Amino acid sequence: MRKHTITAIICLAGALVASAVAGASFLAMRKPDVIVNGPGVSEKKMLSDWFPGLKGTPGDTEVYILKGADDGASMLILGGTHPNEPAGHLAAIVYIENVVPKTGTLYVIPRANASGFTANDPQEGAPQRFTIQTPNGPRVFSYGSRATNPVHQWPDPNVYIHASSGQTLSGSETRNLNRGYPGRPDGTLTEKVCYGIVQLIKQQNVTITVDLHEASPEYPVINAIVAHPKAMTLASDTVLGLEMQDIKISLEPSPVNLRGLTHRELGDFTDTLPLLMETANASQGRLRGRTDEALVLTGKDKWYVRAQKLGRLYVPYDEKGHPIEERVGRHVTAIGEILTSWNLEHPEEPLEFENIPGYEDILAKGVGAYLLPAPAK
Amino acid sequence: MFYIYLAILAVVLALTVWVLFDTKKFSLQVTAAMVIVPLLLRLLMIK
Repeated sequence: MRKHTITAIICLAGALVASAVAGASFLAMRKPDVIVNGPGVSEKKMLSDWFPGLKGTPGDTEVYILKGADDGASMLILGGTHPNEPAGHLAAIVYIENVVPKTGTLYVIPRANASGFTANDPQEGAPQRFTIQTPNGPRVFSYGSRATNPVHQWPDPNVYIHASSGQTLSGSETRNLNRGYPGRPDGTLTEKVCYGIVQLIKQQNVTITVDLHEASPEYPVINAIVAHPKAMTLASDTVLGLEMQDIKISLEPSPVNLRGLTHRELGDFTDTLPLLMETANASQGRLRGRTDEALVLTGKDKWYVRAQKLGRLYVPYDEKGHPIEERVGRHVTAIGEILTSWNLEHPEEPLEFENIPGYEDILAKGVGAYLLPAPAK
Repeated sequence: MFYIYLAILAVVLALTVWVLFDTKKFSLQVTAAMVIVPLLLRLLMIK
């Protein structure tokens, strides 16, 4: 055998070994995170129960139903619309594992873009997972991609045209769940998930929908609530309630010309009151340094501290960062304030949930104090 | 469209393997081996 044939075989073997190792690592991300049914969970369904077109697809996702003893209004919490924004995902899980509705019904979709949790964004260097320490041991959660896994929806068009408005965006936005509403039953996988969520809202007559996000510190809409015009009174009261707790938060109207987002399309196409909330996540920002699990959990990044000193950020940033406790605490507390505001405005149709962790408690005890023990394997 | 994409991918992967065995230049062989990894993972719909 000639020398270059031998080296070719060695190189090919190396490529196959590297592919096997990397492939095993990527495939491991397809295993969904453990979420434990809390005391308030009365039923767990799948989104395909509202839109059968999702059944058996990577877009189908769990819907946790927490039903109060008495009828009332209802709320839908969307976590994981963008799986690289972990505070939204975790806040939804904290609600599933702790909250007990007294009146009204709570629907929680913790992994709204389930496909996005099965991959990382290429070239971002982000960790695949992060660990939250709890009194009962570690709980591991996925840090996914902003968009649907390209293995599940490909190829991207050069230009993404939003179906109902004709709005044009970059082609990769075709896999962004929060650009696909109200969705289409015969559209892409991402559009089908949007359509499924809209069907849930319509069929269950969901009163309030809260979509939990995080934003880069250099993005103007941060530590904010974005509200559709018809949800503006509810959002205003919520902001006042949060300010009374010394939680600084801004209120942004949903732009009329930015289409495909929950806070615009769910308000236009359904009867729900849609709100979207943002916290500060350095691990998805463009100015960040090393991207690892510590950055996801602490938000400490010297380059963001420097950017703050140069006046380039829209959120205060110092050496303390923005830890996951603060970010999850803001989301959990803001939802509690939405409920309080709703009940003040609509005492005839109450939404009363018990056992919502307090902001100061989450800051002091950590998110792990509000996560249940994972079942033994 | 998706299957056309996969077919193009398979052709590029086959050509890369052909280059790996055809060239006498070791640096090009190593480069070809590195290129094979993402092509193979995508063809198998892993990444």
